[in-house]
Amino acid sequence: MTEDRQLVSRALKGDRRAYEMIVRKYEQPLTNYLSRMTGERETALDFAQEVFLKAYCSLASYRPAFKFSTWLFKIASNHLIDHWRKKKLPTVSIDQPIEEKDGPVMPQLADPGPSVVRRFELAEIRQRIERALEAVPEALRELFVLRHVNEFSYEEIADIKSLPVGTVKNRVFQAKEMLRRTMGRP
Amino acid sequence: MNACPRPKAIYLYLEGELGPYEAAKLEEHLECCAACREALEERRLLHEAFTSLPPFEVPEGFARSVMDSLPAPETAKAGWLAPLLAAAAALTVGLAGFHIFTGQSVFGMLVAVNRFLGEVVALFTPLAVKTLKIGSVLAKVAGNLAGLGFSGLSALTRILGPEGIALAAGLSMLFALLAFFGARRFLRQGVGS
Repeated sequence: MTEDRQLVSRALKGDRRAYEMIVRKYEQPLTNYLSRMTGERETALDFAQEVFLKAYCSLASYRPAFKFSTWLFKIASNHLIDHWRKKKLPTVSIDQPIEEKDGPVMPQLADPGPSVVRRFELAEIRQRIERALEAVPEALRELFVLRHVNEFSYEEIADIKSLPVGTVKNRVFQAKEMLRRTMGRP
Repeated sequence: MNACPRPKAIYLYLEGELGPYEAAKLEEHLECCAACREALEERRLLHEAFTSLPPFEVPEGFARSVMDSLPAPETAKAGWLAPLLAAAAALTVGLAGFHIFTGQSVFGMLVAVNRFLGEVVALFTPLAVKTLKIGSVLAKVAGNLAGLGFSGLSALTRILGPEGIALAAGLSMLFALLAFFGARRFLRQGVGS
């Protein structure tokens, strides 16, 4: 964290090498996040480039009291929201039942049903998760990715998304149960 | 046997996010509930998969391409260079404008400018000299006052003697401490209100 602050401070003084070190440090986690959110490799790379550019241009507004990673992901999250708004993608309310082939499904699904994953090897499960993720509404998917792909704490995600910690925990849980159900389908 | 835990609690347990009391309760329940043990194992496998999704392959040279897309840094110019250039540009424009509107030669204009600057110098030099004189008088007065203060202080130390000096020093330290803590308290009250 201190290293990030030092790099930012150097970058603000015009040291481009310092900013390049920031880019190299965060290119992997940022593209991990953006690729799962956009579902397209090239779009994820373009977005990552735009996010780094936005961050560079507003570096002076970064407050060292906060973690640089959460600040950067906040920019990335807002960038995605802008993109979805422009594209006017159909959004799914996470408080309403989702209409599916088998009938309406509520995201909060509780009972520990029969095992649906034991028969799969871990690698296959990962592949299924990647596919199933695309069907999870963005609002849930984003929190899931931030938690399990980017390994942010619930508190950090709450900070990035300006949401209460309890809401974040609930939505991450909803995303996981949706994934579990989707993976269980043939 | 306590009631079956909610699936959310199972996930939080696997993430180590459940409090110690809730975790102990869940473990106690698992010992005697096969369905929940199965649910835990299933979610453990899922959790393992969630946390080990393959990373996105970032192409080599991505950071370089990001750096190339950034706006060029502003070249650091000396602080005096910009005003100097602006003044030179303004002077050139002024001279050109004067030449165009009055039809006078540039040489004549330069002579006129030189004359004007000479007049300005002639006007301000006596003023600067007077200011310097007043400054030296003030410095002399301050020096005399300081000398007077020192001689007064030495006379006072002679009169007081070593015990008196110690007492005065102690009292002044006490007053300084009182003033310091008083001010601090006052400021704290100001912050709190």
